[in-house]
Amino acid sequence: MTQLFKQKHVEYVQNLNSQISQDSYEYWLLEHLRLNGIYWGVVALATMDNLKALPENEVFDFVLSCWDSRSGGFGAFPRHDGHILSTLSAIQVLLIYNRLDDPKVVDKKPAIVKFIKELQLENGSFQGDRFGEVDTRFIYTAISALSILGELTEEMSRPAVDFILLCQNFDGGFGMVPGAESHAAQVFTCLATLAITGQLDRIKPEKTAAWLSDRQVEGGGLNGRPEKLPDLCYSWWVMSSLSILGKAHWVDFTGLISFILKCQDPNGGISDRADNETDVYHTCFALAGLSLIEMSQKLKEFGLVPIDPVYCMPTSVTRKFTNYTQQ
Amino acid sequence: MQHGVKRISLSEQARKEKIQRDKLKIANYRALCKDLLDKKDKDVRDIATLQATTDLLLKNPEFYTIWNYRRDIIVALVDAEKIKKKDTLEDDLKLIVALLKRYPKCYWIWNHRIWCLDQLQQTREANWNVELAIVSKFLDLDSRNYHCWQYRRFVINNMEEDTLLESSESSNLGQKEARALLRINIEEYKFTTSKINKNISNFSAWHNRTKLIPKIYDLFGELDTTNDHADVRHVFARPQTILQHELELVKTGMFMDSDDTSIWLYLQWLLTNPFFVDDLRKVSPTCYLDVLNAQLAIVEELNELEREDHPKGWDHRWCLRCILLIKSLIREETSEIGALDDMSRKMLQSLTEIDPLRKCRYLDQLEGTGTLSSLAF
Repeated sequence: MTQLFKQKHVEYVQNLNSQISQDSYEYWLLEHLRLNGIYWGVVALATMDNLKALPENEVFDFVLSCWDSRSGGFGAFPRHDGHILSTLSAIQVLLIYNRLDDPKVVDKKPAIVKFIKELQLENGSFQGDRFGEVDTRFIYTAISALSILGELTEEMSRPAVDFILLCQNFDGGFGMVPGAESHAAQVFTCLATLAITGQLDRIKPEKTAAWLSDRQVEGGGLNGRPEKLPDLCYSWWVMSSLSILGKAHWVDFTGLISFILKCQDPNGGISDRADNETDVYHTCFALAGLSLIEMSQKLKEFGLVPIDPVYCMPTSVTRKFTNYTQQ
Repeated sequence: MQHGVKRISLSEQARKEKIQRDKLKIANYRALCKDLLDKKDKDVRDIATLQATTDLLLKNPEFYTIWNYRRDIIVALVDAEKIKKKDTLEDDLKLIVALLKRYPKCYWIWNHRIWCLDQLQQTREANWNVELAIVSKFLDLDSRNYHCWQYRRFVINNMEEDTLLESSESSNLGQKEARALLRINIEEYKFTTSKINKNISNFSAWHNRTKLIPKIYDLFGELDTTNDHADVRHVFARPQTILQHELELVKTGMFMDSDDTSIWLYLQWLLTNPFFVDDLRKVSPTCYLDVLNAQLAIVEELNELEREDHPKGWDHRWCLRCILLIKSLIREETSEIGALDDMSRKMLQSLTEIDPLRKCRYLDQLEGTGTLSSLAF
């Protein structure tokens, strides 16, 4: 495969909620990821410059229906509990559709901000909800959400960054908590947090970038940890991390593009590895990863929209609120 | 998120049959969801609802809202003395083991296990030895599971905290404490050895070693007398002796499988971490250099063997990178910091050919200052 089946992928995202999908039991088992799924679908479409493929007002109404008045955050589905992960997804989708200023959103904003701020713990980290799970994913999610809302303060970011730095290992990578093994997705969350807070100069970029470039294996794909199989989602986690460090070119693009294109289902959708089952998560990160490659190569092979490696949204969207300077 | 599931395309007939089969499952599942979410909205907290959350979580352990609701019900029922805390939580631990066997990478399940243990720990009723045995079993099934390793460190942290709590209750503070902590960490060190012996590529185990070694060394240092742990005590005499021991292990590994990323990363830690380097400098002015030269000879020997095996007589990628690292360490050690020497430039040139995936990285490094950080070590 040398071609990106853009139209098919657009249709794939459009059909995620179709009757055919809803006839399947598995569709209902995934409600706990629905809002995250909307975000992945919306970013996939935005990357293909086809945001109109989904009905904006329906998406907007659905996002608001996921708001959990008890916690103040968004759940992944109507009536589900608020969680930091789905809360960021909601904010991102609203931002992409330029609807954060809608009165229905503005009403809720103080509660949303309060929800996120109260998740920060004494050691600077953030828990995902009131039950105490701590992970550098949640720090990124909280810091990213607050920065989009214009509510990030030095008082919150300083201890968060200190905690992130404790998660760095000798190999230059970062883990989910201090002591945990380096993992490419956690590296993204940590580097993106450092980028948002303007603290990237507190690490040695070459060392981390070298570890990231070593994630590329024969066949062109990227793995998330040493001696693991490649998986398409690392086309995002590794490429975004390298882009943040200004070292996207430290992997071989030809091999990586070939790996990504092979993961496509010609009928639409993209999977973790060739010939596997597709899903919207991998579809989103494949396209966003390809966009980063295009940006680094300054080519327009696939005609994708430039994506911000820190926020995983089009740069045309993030430019509105961030002063983070592109490498 | 689908991981590792083969793409299948159902025939029209099979698809129709699945839709028929799924109809009833969907109806049952949605009814159960609605019932529970209705009760949750009404703050119902009774034993029947607790049971209903079990039924739903067995169908879908990713349903985090139901885990949350379950925790709220348990807390309420325990407070009202309608259920016994310890029994209920221990039942949950059994339920979780059953679920983890089917979904070993589900965050929410691990999360609930940690919550249960935290609750039990509040009254010092958590059995960490059982937890350690369980997580060892799961690591037998998948020796790289990220969740398992993290959970293992959580268990060890708690064992350590228990130890500290116990000794703060006794009069013999300090020594007893250090001895107990030492025992826990040496067991962990041996656990990583056993994992590495089974599979040298298990970087999760190597990683844990980088955390355990300095800790064990410090704990030995806190003991007045060191008659314990005779089997490893000599290894931990000082960073230098640990280094020698670990270098032997790495040497075996690199000759066994020179393409393995794990051992080369670990070797980098051994040769550059201040824990070792500072001690070597204390041993004698040339000790660190001697170690570096000895390692250089070993890696160069391995590279020769690899070249003989290669159809085109090429250098080995990892050997070459390691030689480059050691040479730049030697350069820095002998204060000849500055531009790359010709030999290093040649090595970087040949890396662009033998490791083309990272060609641009090596080209950047050729342009760089030649310092260790520009070489990305």
